[in-house]
Amino acid sequence: MLDAIKAYNEAVLDTDRARAFQVVMDAIDRGVSPEDIVFNVVIPALDLMVKAIDQGFDTNLAQHFMTSQIAADVTEKMLQLFKIPPEIVGRVVIGTAAGDLHTLGKRIVIGCLKAQMIDVIDLGVNVSAEKFVAEAVSKEAHVIGISAMMVHTARSEKGAIKVRKLLHEQGLERKIKLVVGGAPFRYDTELYSLVGADAWAENGVSALKVFMDCINEVKEQ
Amino acid sequence: MTTSMERLTAAANGQVIDHIPVFCNLLDQGARELGMSIEQYFSNGEYVATAQLKMLEKFGHDNVWSLFYVGREAELLGCNKICYADDGPPNVEDFIIQSYDDIAKLDIPTDIASQPKFAEIAKCLAILKREVGGKVPICAYVTASMSLPAILMGMEKWMELLMLGPADVRDLMLEKCSTFFRRELAAYRNAGADIIIYADPYGSTDIIPMKLFQNLSLTWMQRDLAGLDLTGLVYYVGAARLNSVLELVIQRLGFQTYYPSPLEDVTDSMQIINGRGLCAGVINDIRLLDWTPEQVRMEVQRIVTSGLSKGNKFFFGTVLMPYGIPEQNIVAMVNAAKEFGRVSV
Repeated sequence: MLDAIKAYNEAVLDTDRARAFQVVMDAIDRGVSPEDIVFNVVIPALDLMVKAIDQGFDTNLAQHFMTSQIAADVTEKMLQLFKIPPEIVGRVVIGTAAGDLHTLGKRIVIGCLKAQMIDVIDLGVNVSAEKFVAEAVSKEAHVIGISAMMVHTARSEKGAIKVRKLLHEQGLERKIKLVVGGAPFRYDTELYSLVGADAWAENGVSALKVFMDCINEVKEQ
Repeated sequence: MTTSMERLTAAANGQVIDHIPVFCNLLDQGARELGMSIEQYFSNGEYVATAQLKMLEKFGHDNVWSLFYVGREAELLGCNKICYADDGPPNVEDFIIQSYDDIAKLDIPTDIASQPKFAEIAKCLAILKREVGGKVPICAYVTASMSLPAILMGMEKWMELLMLGPADVRDLMLEKCSTFFRRELAAYRNAGADIIIYADPYGSTDIIPMKLFQNLSLTWMQRDLAGLDLTGLVYYVGAARLNSVLELVIQRLGFQTYYPSPLEDVTDSMQIINGRGLCAGVINDIRLLDWTPEQVRMEVQRIVTSGLSKGNKFFFGTVLMPYGIPEQNIVAMVNAAKEFGRVSV
């Protein structure tokens, strides 16, 4: 199985979707179950990628996109072959901040989360703070994820700052965590705290661990 | 009295007359300067030129801008829905490329200057040229073929086409964008722009892998620039890092000016360029929103002394300054760049 993880990850880093799928199909041909593909190849490969980035391995946006895309595609295909539906490990509502129309980062995060068996509700773009909170409550989400690619949408009073205010006013801060991401947070690594988020993710792939940690934190309370 | 243009020319030749050139990229701030909304401000080239001149006088930096907002390029190609904010740059709200069929239908105007959406830019440039032409560098912003699709179809759809889509469709898109680049560049130069920012985030390995950069980005950059005079063109990858590709870009394209990321060590950039071009020392201007003037001064000192320790083909610059930066921090930044950018002859 380690060989498959290594070969799969090499294909992903080369942004070679066809080769990654070939690795998976070869494993299936050798008798590996779809469940094993997801839980013992795709998810460990994602975890390895997150760890590598965390340790300073230099990756780029295209690799993050392909990592997410391939993981999501393989998982979707394998899920159709599962004997029983997998257990959902957590639930996230995600969208871009009020006034922000940039979708790429959100898409990368969603792909990675879905491959990890996290239920994701995509609220789309230009999402109001009220909608983030209302949807999180009605869907019983553990985490709200807000993507903002511009300084003024990342720092806006209508964005994460207002979500934090609403969570506080409604006594939801222990039940729902707030995660932010996007370029402004990379250029000011303390900004997440200034806008009232619990955590931030440097890129769409690393977001996986950040969301998992928040989900686990909520579950433990 | 030394002019900004003389300062820049001297820097390009490795000399410092009084201080290094100080480029401060103030765009949306012009609306505040004139006391109007950002939407109203960008509706008239005269407003933009007037504010640029007022800000030049107020802060004393070394450049003015003819850029309204990046989405204006999409408007030149037919986009008619822009999302305006109260406190930040306008954004493209309706992408003109919604499907691959739209790429085939995309028409690149032969004469960009005759486009109605260029009229206000031309008006702005005419005023700037009349008032400070030849004395202060007049900047324009033109997006490279590899990056323009992100404005026309959105970053997500462009990444999808680039990494997963049919190569012939991708290449058709790039060919049209490259043609647009060349025509837009000509329009800006004819209208009076001296300094052209060749904006190409996809020219950084922060965005795409090195293999794709070598096989695709470089090829299309060469197509963009074939046969053109590169005087005044600046290699800028949108605040992403460029040190990993600098040597290749210098050898294959030969820009005369490079604009690294604020996240890079400028001494590394200066060492790689090694006198083969002018290099900017760029401040992480998002931090200017919260720093004190003294913190700004110390950071400028660090950047400028680092850059000048590796040679005089160096100038100070910002990214696209966020709207909310307090004026006292802009003053502190410009003054510090001049103070620490003096070189004793």
